[in-house]
Amino acid sequence: MVSSNLPLLILCGPLAVAVVIFLLPARGLSTKCFEAIHLASTIFVLALSITVAGHVIAGDSLTAFGDWFYIDSLGCIFVSLIGIVGFLTGLYSIGYIRHDLESGLLDRGKVKLYYGFFSLFLFTMLLAATSNNIVVMWVAIEATTLGSAFLVGLYGQKSSLEAAWKYVIICTVGVAFGLYGTVLAYANGSEVLGNSEGAILWTTLAAHAASLDPTLAKLSFVFVLIGFGTKAGIFPMHAWLPDAHSEAPSPISGLLSGVLLKCAILVIIRYYIITLKAVGPEFPQTLLLTLGILSIAVSAFLIYVQHDFKRKLAYHSVEHIGLIVLGLGIGGPLGIGGALLHTVNHSLTKALLFCGSGNVLMKYGTRDLQSVKGILRVAPVTGLLIMGGALALAGFPPFNVFVSEFLIFAAGVKQGYYVLMIVCALLFTITVAALIQIIAESVLGKSPESMPKRDVGWLSLAPMVILLALVLAMGVAVPQPVSRLLQSATNVVLDDHSAVAITAPWQTPAAATPQSGVQGGPVALVTDTPSHSETNP
Amino acid sequence: MVGFQLINGLAGLLIITSLLVILSDRPGNSARFYALQSLVLVALFLALAEATDSHELYLWSASAFVTKVVLVPLIMYRAFSKLSDPKLGSGAVLSPALSVVLAALVVILCYSVVSGVSLPAAAAIKPALAVSLAHFFLGLACIVTQRNILKQVFGYCLMENGSHLTLALLAAKAPELVEVGIATDAIFAVVIMAVLGTKIFLTLHTLDARQLTTLKG
Repeated sequence: MVSSNLPLLILCGPLAVAVVIFLLPARGLSTKCFEAIHLASTIFVLALSITVAGHVIAGDSLTAFGDWFYIDSLGCIFVSLIGIVGFLTGLYSIGYIRHDLESGLLDRGKVKLYYGFFSLFLFTMLLAATSNNIVVMWVAIEATTLGSAFLVGLYGQKSSLEAAWKYVIICTVGVAFGLYGTVLAYANGSEVLGNSEGAILWTTLAAHAASLDPTLAKLSFVFVLIGFGTKAGIFPMHAWLPDAHSEAPSPISGLLSGVLLKCAILVIIRYYIITLKAVGPEFPQTLLLTLGILSIAVSAFLIYVQHDFKRKLAYHSVEHIGLIVLGLGIGGPLGIGGALLHTVNHSLTKALLFCGSGNVLMKYGTRDLQSVKGILRVAPVTGLLIMGGALALAGFPPFNVFVSEFLIFAAGVKQGYYVLMIVCALLFTITVAALIQIIAESVLGKSPESMPKRDVGWLSLAPMVILLALVLAMGVAVPQPVSRLLQSATNVVLDDHSAVAITAPWQTPAAATPQSGVQGGPVALVTDTPSHSETNP
Repeated sequence: MVGFQLINGLAGLLIITSLLVILSDRPGNSARFYALQSLVLVALFLALAEATDSHELYLWSASAFVTKVVLVPLIMYRAFSKLSDPKLGSGAVLSPALSVVLAALVVILCYSVVSGVSLPAAAAIKPALAVSLAHFFLGLACIVTQRNILKQVFGYCLMENGSHLTLALLAAKAPELVEVGIATDAIFAVVIMAVLGTKIFLTLHTLDARQLTTLKG
């Protein structure tokens, strides 16, 4: 562990920007001024997150403020996601919010609030991803709700206010369960360690997890899973998610689905690590497997029946969060590694598609897929980008989601969950059908005759092009630094060095890093590597 | 030993005050009862600080007094007194008598759960611990059984008080900053809920949760 100012710096930047924007008058300044400050904030977070990733990939874990903040390889994945997706949705926001301002959906005061809350939201998510103090971790997750509630209800219409209310009530109540779980974990730790200062730190709790009281550890994990699972959108606590995702401005939907849900998953993983050591794998894995498959099963059908583009995408988030939770529940180096890779892949793909839904809203003025036809004819670049995103989300190669889904399925088969994986695969075919429907009818169908053939501006297309490029790059071959980061994070979760190279099945064995001591790609490893469940006591 | 009896006794009072919060007819009155309940909670923190000789808990009681007895009830009273929805009535789904019986059941159930905890710190204060857990679930019940969206905010506050008490009972020496973090979050949550509740009332002209049904499926 290396003491560094980076964690504090990355937190202070967006927080300071949010405060500055809130303090500035909305009337005296042009919206361009707010756009510039907002863009500077997202670029700052992106640059620092890449710097942090550089340090962590080189083998350091960064700490700050008396170990209250801690970025290891696991946290680094999420900090990087906030940096990248935050910047791209932030860039996308400029064109989108300008359009909303011109069409009278927002006034200048609300534009100022939007940019202020955007940076505040980034700050709260970064706080959740960098916190080592378990109570601050909880405070941060609660703060993400409070920071983003106004963004969800920004348009002030009946439906958006309703969505914001449900979001705030369900998430604060859910996260109150998280607080209870946090309190139980802390009380358990401080009793066993006899040290009330140390027990508040996740690193200390994780190091001494084996000596924790098992009953309290189990109770704590259940509360944590309900609490932070609500925020992650795991079934049956997902009720807020389709409303909030569909009613929020599209870049915020991308940020909610792409990053916020993942921050809650990070907190669950942190407690999963403690619980694995305290009570063994059976209890937490059973819970995760059950919730994971239920989330997939319920959302698969709901995706299919939706006609609202953004609600469809929102239910996709529930499904893919279910798959991540399933991967965590399957466990073992491949299951955990696959789940972490899927976290990254789903973030990029979903941000792309939510930005696509924003372009559709700008062009067609509706999210109803029965009215949205022939995007490719009236907005060809948007059409192509949405098609790419939909194919990626459906899990087709050479896009990224295929790789992580393959790894999770391989892990499931390796661990002997044959029936579960077959059921899961069948459920995913329903999702594929739903996505093909979007491509066939909305992207390729016949466009309305009265609609002019002109795509949205480059400011709204450029971030999507970058996102699609990232989606493809991660699908063709997982870049080596990313693969190493994921491998190291898997080792953190399993607390050993059994992690395998997290790469696409067709990547050459050379992609495996020297530290792993592993010579084969994941396909070879499916048969070669002993599972974590088998080796764990 | 007397100290611990006092703690358990005060914990019992918490349940009565939370029932008053849940069952009172108007949100403005609920805010008053919530202030009273928080006062009991502060007294509990003080008794606990005395019994466990915890310097941190004295600080907690001071900050809890400022936030929970003064600030939060004041915010809620000022925001909620202006809003009323005559069509909604009390907004309670269950009758008061049934609510009291249910509360008693929750306490008994929580006591049986807590009796399984084997931490030495919890030995003398198990009734209080059971009450803190029950308090958390009473808050949840308030949210589920109240149609008035403003009453749902009180439900959240009760849940928060419950987990706060559990923290104080099981980890009396937690750093003061932790408590400040939790309290600050609670204030922001209440402010945001009050603002959103007011906006909903001004836009939809109702406080009935069952009227919020535009988004479905």
